[in-house]
Amino acid sequence: MLKVEDLHAGYGGAEVLNGVNLEVKQGTLVALIGANGAGKTTTMRAISGMIKPSAGSVTLEGTEVDGYSASRIARLGLAHSPEGRKIFGPLSVEDNLLLGAYRRLPRFFGFHSQAQGELEKVYALFPRLKERRLQHAGTLSGGEQQMLAIGRALMAQPKVMLLDEPSMGLAPVIVQEVFAIIRRLKEAGITLLLVEQFAKSALEVADYAYVMERGKIAVEGAPAELQKDERVIAAYLG
Amino acid sequence: MGLVYALVAYGFQLTYATSKSINFGQGELVMLSAFCSLTLLDWGVPYWLMIPLGLIIGALLGLVVERAAVRLALEQKSEGWILLTIIFGLFAFSLAENIWGRDDRPFPTPIPSDSFSVFGVDLTWLEVSVAIGVFGIMGLIELFKRRTLLGKAFEAVSADRDAAELMGISATQTVMLSYGLSGVVAALAGILISPITTVGPTMAMMLILKAFSVAVVAGLNSGFGVVLVGLVLGALENLASLYLGSGWREAPGLILLIMALALRPNGIFGKATIRKV
Repeated sequence: MLKVEDLHAGYGGAEVLNGVNLEVKQGTLVALIGANGAGKTTTMRAISGMIKPSAGSVTLEGTEVDGYSASRIARLGLAHSPEGRKIFGPLSVEDNLLLGAYRRLPRFFGFHSQAQGELEKVYALFPRLKERRLQHAGTLSGGEQQMLAIGRALMAQPKVMLLDEPSMGLAPVIVQEVFAIIRRLKEAGITLLLVEQFAKSALEVADYAYVMERGKIAVEGAPAELQKDERVIAAYLG
Repeated sequence: MGLVYALVAYGFQLTYATSKSINFGQGELVMLSAFCSLTLLDWGVPYWLMIPLGLIIGALLGLVVERAAVRLALEQKSEGWILLTIIFGLFAFSLAENIWGRDDRPFPTPIPSDSFSVFGVDLTWLEVSVAIGVFGIMGLIELFKRRTLLGKAFEAVSADRDAAELMGISATQTVMLSYGLSGVVAALAGILISPITTVGPTMAMMLILKAFSVAVVAGLNSGFGVVLVGLVLGALENLASLYLGSGWREAPGLILLIMALALRPNGIFGKATIRKV
């Protein structure tokens, strides 16, 4: 579904990624873990087109999308829930969700009725968002904002969903809630690439995992193997 | 008069919302569209058909400004649009001088200019038409922003450009849209005000300064705040010229601008952006 080959990218002159290879198969949850500054978020940003890769390729369902603008990649069905959530604060919760479905809705009228089905599904998953659907998104708590960011990505009915640090800055109870949601997304058959600092929890939900070090994939494998790998244990699971 | 300032100021807000840039040639845009509309009338185009045509010309001119003066600067994340839009204004000014001459010209209108009295206030039909036009267009654009998905996308780009891109919203197209709309607004301002002030290449200078004061005083993201400030400014100007002499006409706007910058840099109705982490 999503294939990344020899991806190079960076900011200004500084190269952060030097040759990342990874693959996310349809219906699987792949975790990308690693220390701070290893290039996890940069990988996500290069995949979704927020930064232009300097070399290498990104293939989404057989189409090479590297070099496309972020909006074009999103319209092709890749939903990226970015680090720091980036919800639209001045807009209502429901407007945030509707915009999530932008790629498949009519631009002027009738978009609300067409999105109704998906909207109900997201509200069923996050009842709290339904309660607050008319509130400004900026007034939500951090956990609720994270739920909104995930819900917004779901609204796109994406082929692949990138989730960057969904647990960042949240209280431990809420982090558990977030992982429960991720598990449910996985059960629903959504193809997911997850970046996480909580390596342990990420490995528990993932089907396959990559460990990044200094802009490259250092180790990869099924979570069960990685959990036994001494280097991984020493660095991230200890 | 105050409402026209408000309308031009509203044009500033539209482009500032999506791109954090302002067309400093907005006044010249008003002037150019007014001249084009006048030419249409000279060609025998009926008044009511001239209005939509004039608005389309305004939209096209807005797009020209975006393409020529703003897009490249924004792509390079530079502030070059400031200089480029000013240059556009100067260019438009000399263009107008060369095509239509330096003289102010009357702008015919079928709307009668006789006055009538409501609750002791003397109004002319022309003034009423300005009010209808200003509230009409602002109402339409606000409805568009709130009721259509494209309008919400417009708001999304102004809230968080990167995140909007991730939803599949093209920020470049949204900025184009905002400049197009801003051009429509400028053209309407020109059509509404010209019968009152006459059309001339210099009409832009006065307008832009006032409109800019209104936009800054009200706040660049205040929506209808500009209407209130525009009305107050219009009233203050009339009072100043009535009681202090017409030479003082321009003073209140500038004093208001300086006071606002000193006391409320975000504008009276401006919201300081609050961000939760």
